[in-house]
Amino acid sequence: MHLPDGILPVTVCAAGYATGGALTWYALRKINQQPNPRARVPQAALLTAAFFVASWIHIPVPPTSVHLILNGLLGVLLGYYAVPAILIGLFFQAVMFQHGGLTTLGVNATMMGLPALLAYVLFRLRFLFGRESRAGTGLAGFLGGAGGLALAVLIFYGLLVTTIPATLDIRMERAAITALALAHIPVVLLEGVFTALVVLFLQRVRPDLLDGASGWTPPVPVAAPDPSLPGIRGADEPHA
Amino acid sequence: MPGAKSIRWYYLLPLLLLPALALAAPVTAHGSNISYTIGPAVALVAQFDNGEPMAGAQVTIYAPDDPVNPWMTGTCDAEGRFTFMPDPDRPGNWEVQVRQSGHGDIVVIPVGAGMATAAGMGEGVARYAPVMQPVGGVGGYTPLQLLVMGASVVWGCVGTALFFINRK
Repeated sequence: MHLPDGILPVTVCAAGYATGGALTWYALRKINQQPNPRARVPQAALLTAAFFVASWIHIPVPPTSVHLILNGLLGVLLGYYAVPAILIGLFFQAVMFQHGGLTTLGVNATMMGLPALLAYVLFRLRFLFGRESRAGTGLAGFLGGAGGLALAVLIFYGLLVTTIPATLDIRMERAAITALALAHIPVVLLEGVFTALVVLFLQRVRPDLLDGASGWTPPVPVAAPDPSLPGIRGADEPHA
Repeated sequence: MPGAKSIRWYYLLPLLLLPALALAAPVTAHGSNISYTIGPAVALVAQFDNGEPMAGAQVTIYAPDDPVNPWMTGTCDAEGRFTFMPDPDRPGNWEVQVRQSGHGDIVVIPVGAGMATAAGMGEGVARYAPVMQPVGGVGGYTPLQLLVMGASVVWGCVGTALFFINRK
């Protein structure tokens, strides 16, 4: 579902770079506003690797075959960090495996990064059920994982259908694009279920990771200050 | 936010080096492979990068002297094959675009006087020899090379994670 070079008109590629750049700027700004922006970089780096590799996992959906995207999962687990993670993953997919392209890097980053932020918002719906609710967390995880990819597929479809060059048989190409978009429905469901399983697993073993994505950080245990010195503050603990 | 650590802008400077990698990487195939054989006619086979034929993909051919208006359009068969006879009076680089559902590739096929030289082979051989055969890997890499490339990127991500994990 990565748009390669030479398919989209130059204006769309340029607009893609504008939107991709704006999206990255916004995400980095939001990241920098967090109390410790570097705290989630390890998770973001590991999920970048997962995103990078996921496109090699092909799923046969007759008559074609599609591959995993995982942008919804990244959005759910990383929040704003998903945008730079996806951008870096896309860059390496393009230069290493010619999957996607450098002229369409901005378009692809927007197509997958923006829905990742939607997935992040959808996952926050779990707070309606309460932080401890397993059903609520699983459902919100499914919505995030599936919704993130579904929106990406819709953007993909919209971009391609509106830019079919006149030299092609438009009716035939439109049918092919529609078929490819429909072939993603099983992947949307699969990634939704996969995301739900991942968040349910994390809720059991490391619930703090899920809270971190929502901008809520659990209190960090610090060494108790010496009671003989009133007013002392933990050296590592920022007091905003 | 006093005392808070933030990502400093200069940590992003190495990103400026990344486009240099692009120069080193071949940019000929984009998730699809087109191989062709030049004989009396040009026969090409278009496949997605998982080896599946691009059945029914649309082919647009541009002659060397007119890169704007298609010289010919057509459709691949069920095995992703397409054959055409370039005009021998228009030697040069013929551009062939194969695309389907937003995926595809463009190949440049040298035809005529410069053909043997461009293919780097003797004249008699070049007429029938396959000139470009990236099928079986992506962009001409072997599966082992692809594995090493993928592993190096993954290790880069893991290394980044390890670097930041101890720097609270």
